[in-house]
Amino acid sequence: MSIDVLYGTESGNAEMAAEEIVAALGDGRAVDLQDLDPDDLTSSAVYLVLCSTYGDGELPASAQPFVDALQAKRPDLTGVRYAIFGLGDSSYAESYSLGGNQLAECLDAQGAARFGDFGRHDASSSDDLVASAVAWAETALADVATAAA
Amino acid sequence: MTLQVAVVGSGPAGCYTAQALLKALPGARITLVERLPVPFGLVRYGVAADHQGTKSVTRQFERVLSHPDVTFVGNVEVGTDVSLEVLRSSFDAVVIATGLDRDRRLGIPGEELPGVVASGRVTRWANGHPDACPAPPLLGRSAVVIGNGNVAIDVVRLLAKSPSDFAGSDLPAVVASALAAARIEEIVLVGRRGVDQARFDPAMVKELTRIGGATFDIPSISTAAVSPHAVSLRHLGEHQPRGDRVTVRFRFGWSPLRIEGDARVEKVVFADSTGAEHSVATETVVSAIGFAGPAALVPDEAPAESGRLDAGLYCVGWARRGPRGTIPEARTDARHVAGVVAADLKGRGPIPGRADPYRCFAALPATDLAGWHAIDRHERATAADGRVRNKITDRRALLRLARPHLNHLEGEPA
Repeated sequence: MSIDVLYGTESGNAEMAAEEIVAALGDGRAVDLQDLDPDDLTSSAVYLVLCSTYGDGELPASAQPFVDALQAKRPDLTGVRYAIFGLGDSSYAESYSLGGNQLAECLDAQGAARFGDFGRHDASSSDDLVASAVAWAETALADVATAAA
Repeated sequence: MTLQVAVVGSGPAGCYTAQALLKALPGARITLVERLPVPFGLVRYGVAADHQGTKSVTRQFERVLSHPDVTFVGNVEVGTDVSLEVLRSSFDAVVIATGLDRDRRLGIPGEELPGVVASGRVTRWANGHPDACPAPPLLGRSAVVIGNGNVAIDVVRLLAKSPSDFAGSDLPAVVASALAAARIEEIVLVGRRGVDQARFDPAMVKELTRIGGATFDIPSISTAAVSPHAVSLRHLGEHQPRGDRVTVRFRFGWSPLRIEGDARVEKVVFADSTGAEHSVATETVVSAIGFAGPAALVPDEAPAESGRLDAGLYCVGWARRGPRGTIPEARTDARHVAGVVAADLKGRGPIPGRADPYRCFAALPATDLAGWHAIDRHERATAADGRVRNKITDRRALLRLARPHLNHLEGEPA
């Protein structure tokens, strides 16, 4: 089972968290969503997806081309498994963490199956992003392993 | 011989450039040269004290500074302590990431009156910048903020919030007491353009609904107006707290004509699109109309498009593009310029006979990453009153904590 840690980022925080997850797991690779074709998503991998929020609840720049392609191609993602982690800033209560929600909705609409908890990190909290993201990834992967056993 | 790159300035553009160079030029050594003993530039001294979420990019920058191939040299001003020429002869490439810190001027009569201050000075003061804190702005019970960008909104939040609203921020105690003593009751935010052309992010306007005790006076906006700015202002109008502690009035389409007063500012006169004059009585004026060039160390007519100024000399961020764009844009720009630097250096290799890169700092009281971490630990450990950090606002106190020492950078690292 290969692990791809996908990220959609604007300021690089989601990229850092993805790279630190790969380092902590000692497995997988971090992939910027802007470098990924939705047709390449496969049921033989598991995807850990991190996505930030930009502006007034929009997708971050590096997730936008992926979502555009997803909506244009409408690939059948049945059998594709992913867990999602949204990054946001509760200073902007109206739009907090909406980028991750949007991305999850787009993947779900194509039939992908979500596993694990919906992870969140609030940049205005004192929680460490990397520690939160690594803990989320480890728990989510343990859930997949249990489900597969 | 190891490739050596110096980045001048450790704000967002400098830190993102170092981050991108680590990927684009693996094995090269990167030295960030910063004029203050503390890193992060505008993230520490420009991003508002109550926007800790925006400041959280420092988590990434700390990771860059702690990388074994990166060295932080603090308390060294290029152009003063060490010349750009010496730096260029000591490194295979030098990237200027000094940003822009000069406030753009209004250019109207009365701008020199006491009580008129530019937003760069205000935000540096409110962020505890050692150069700004000895001279706090003169604040009165009323303020006019001229400008329609995110910094203007930052200034409105700073002036309109009550002391308890700053919980979770790193607003320095001296700034908080000065603001509390001013007891500001009325703020008028004036933009030259119309609502739909305003420059602030709509999310920043919606955030204002959280200022307790404030009333927002918003000009009536046609329900047909669907621009994100119009929508955010209607949202603010509908969800505002309607308190009686402070009133914030939005005015659009007014251009400032002159500032009047005897010993200090007394009023600002504006003209609307019909030419009719509007006079606003006030004790304080903050102009928030952006920063101006030229950037330090960057020649005026520099061909900055690629970021390459000369052989082995580059510029990035606001020093390259001018004072526009947010932190994510600094990242995009840094990746672009790092790509140019990497391509040039891969083709050229190290300068033959180049000097030991650290010799140019050897006689200077430079500080290092351990010094910044000592400051950082102290600021976090002594935070009080719900603050996340007790910013040290005095340069000598920063230096005492960072313990500059001579010659500790001697020798080229392996």
